[in-house]
Formats: sequence, C-alpha cells, structure tokens
Amino acid sequence: MSGRNRVDGAAAYVLHSHPYRETSLIVEAFSRDHGRVGLVARGARRPHSQLRGLLMAFAPLELSWFGGGEVRTLAKAEWQGGQPLLTGQALLVGYYLNELLLRLLPRDDAHPGLFQAYGEVVRQLALSPDSGGAASLRRFELTLLQELGYGVSLEHEAEGGEAVVAEGLYAYLPERGPVRVADAEAASPLFTGKALLAMARDDYADAETLHQAKTLMRHLLGHTLGGQALHTRRVFMEMQEL
Amino acid sequence: MLPSTLDELIDALRVLPGVGPKSAQRMAYHLLQRDQAGARRLSAALEQAVQRIRHCARCNTFTEDEVCSRCASGRRDASLLCVVEMPADLNRMEETHLYSGMYYVLMGRVSPLDGIGPRELKLDRLLARATDGLVQEVILATNFTNEGEATSHYIGEMLKSRGLKVSRIARGLPVGGELEHTDSGTIAQALVERRLL
Repeated sequence: MSGRNRVDGAAAYVLHSHPYRETSLIVEAFSRDHGRVGLVARGARRPHSQLRGLLMAFAPLELSWFGGGEVRTLAKAEWQGGQPLLTGQALLVGYYLNELLLRLLPRDDAHPGLFQAYGEVVRQLALSPDSGGAASLRRFELTLLQELGYGVSLEHEAEGGEAVVAEGLYAYLPERGPVRVADAEAASPLFTGKALLAMARDDYADAETLHQAKTLMRHLLGHTLGGQALHTRRVFMEMQEL
Repeated sequence: MLPSTLDELIDALRVLPGVGPKSAQRMAYHLLQRDQAGARRLSAALEQAVQRIRHCARCNTFTEDEVCSRCASGRRDASLLCVVEMPADLNRMEETHLYSGMYYVLMGRVSPLDGIGPRELKLDRLLARATDGLVQEVILATNFTNEGEATSHYIGEMLKSRGLKVSRIARGLPVGGELEHTDSGTIAQALVERRLL
C-alpha cells in the first residue's frame, strides 16, 4: 500500500457501479475533495461482503482508497446516514443527476460547490420525495454548468452587455447569454427578464421562475451534451407510455 | 501465432461474464489438452440448450416447453402473481414453502444509467400477464438495490393504474437479527419503514 496516494475518509457518493471480474465492482464515486474517481471494490460481490449493501448510490459515505492511475483501490467505506434511501419518482430524478455527472464531469477534478449542491438535492429528494426538490435541482444544474466552465449569464445580455430588465423578453444563446427579442414569435424557447433575474438571485419562490429555469437548463444542458440523448430521459419517457 | 481455430475458441470463451483474455486462454488450453471429453460434452450441452431453452409464455422463466411445468401444474393459486428479477430469485421464494401463487420472472431490472428501461425488459408482457383477469394481487419481490426499487416503483405504478392490488415484500432486520450486529443502513431503513402495532 502506497502511503503517498492514500486518501482517508473522503466525503463521497457512489454514482454508479458495474461488475468487475469474478467478485469485484468498479465504482464511480463523486467525492467532495477529489472529484469523480473510479474505484475497484475488491470482493464487493461476494455473498457476505460488508461492502455489498454499503456501496449504494445516493447514500452519504466516507470512502478511503489508495493507488495511482485511472482506477484506485477502495480500502474502506463508511455509511454516514441521516437520510433514507431514495424511492419512487425521487429515485428516477436521482438517476438523472448521476447521469449528468457521469457524462459531463471529468475524473479527478474537485468541485466542492457542486458536491454541496448535489448533496442538497439528494437530501431533499430523500426527505421530501413528493416536492421533488425542484429548486435545489435547478440550483444543481446551474452550478454544474458554471463549474464546467460555462459562464451562465443571467443579468447581462450577450451582445453589448446591456443589463437584463424584468419586463424584457429574451432568447438564450448557449455559452453566450440572453438576447432581447421584440416579439414572442421571434424565437423559442423564450424567457422573461423577471425569471432570469430571479434565477440570478437564486430565488425560486415563484412557480413561473421554476418552470422557466427548467426550460433554460434543458436548453443549455442539451447543448452541453452535444445533442446526445440522456439514457435516463429516454427511460422516463418510456415509463410514461405504458 | 496461434492456429485460428484456437484463437476463435479463446475469443468465444470471452462472452462469459468475468472472463478476460487470460482466463479464456487458460480454459481453452485446459479443454483441449486435459479434458477433450469434457469439451465435447460442453459443446453438445451448449448446442442443445441454445436450441431447446426458451421463455415460458406465462412466467417468462427458462423452460423447454411453451408453458413451464410450474405454470401448467394447475395446483397453484392463480390470484397471486409474484414478480422477481431472476430465476435464482424464484428458487429462493420457492424454498420458503410459504408461497403457492404464480410467478413472473423479469430476467433483469430497470437500470436507467445503463439504458435498460421498460422496453428492454419487455414489460408489456408482464402487463398482459398480470391483467389476465385471474390475478388479484401482484407481489413485487425485486431486490432492495436502487435498480430493484426503481423496477418495483415503475411496475407498481403501471399495475395500480389498472386497478390491481400491488404489494412489496418487507425490508428490515433479518430473522434472528440483533440490532447490535446489524449494519446502520439496514437499521435506518427499518426505522423509516416501521409499522404500527
């Protein structure tokens, strides 16, 4: 065991895992101080493995690992508790969060702010699954875009940097910003200045703000994903159909 | 350079889960060098199985017939339908000697991150099976993993909207379990899902 590369008790969540060799798992984890890391959990698929029930997505954990390279070796996992597991619709939203992180977040880049926003949504989803934690979900998406380096301008226009006004109507150019339009037919989707400014203030009290924020985030994330459809979204759609 | 038939065998063995190039090579050498009779048997058994085994038209488990012997027996309670992920889970349920209803085996689970949804699991077949007019209650016995939970949530919603009674097997401490020796996650969930006496 190399002491140099050892990490002890890192706050983390499991995002996803898949079987590896006969009895092991490869775990994709999202940690506060080390970002997204790939870990081999040796023997985690043995029938009586202590790790088996621990390495579940959406449960706050403390993970210890060692080794260099792309995939480290998990040494220890400790359950932190304080919230139940996700169920029902909230669980499906959780999968959406995890897919965003798996698709967009490169490994080994620490994003403590994003980790906090993620923890907050998961907590909301676990404790009040019916409210769906819509505001914290939008906050997470916005933080994700910002931390990935897409400055999401909400208060100033893309061209000329003019201040966004509450009574204005705007289209939104990904990676650039809002552009004021004269009439509602001009473009789609459209956003009100009022909603953009409320998002900038982190104020989601108004249902209309929440609704527009959802549209804006889908618009921007769709652009960031380069038109690749999310598995989770396709599965949700199929679930609505039957 | 290996002979191409040997190469092909090694490559073919890698379809097995958990078998990489090294294990495949080891297996191939073993079969050809030490156990040719075993190799012939394996080859014949595979051939037979692939040709003959199919999914039961009623419960979806593996069978050689149109309908498996359990579904065809006529001695089981047709008003109960228990949904499990895999045939091994069905066997575990049978070992309880407490259940005499019918089964439906999903042959998998919903896993949104792997792109496995209702279509991949052919859940329309389960819907048709559960709405045969005889089934009164559907018991969801998928695993207590996130994927098992997502599967049971989805199937539950789908069947409840058709007016069926849907239940989920209970989760909590194991029989004979002592709090002192039980992991915190299990105790936490048992507390969340406690029931009134």
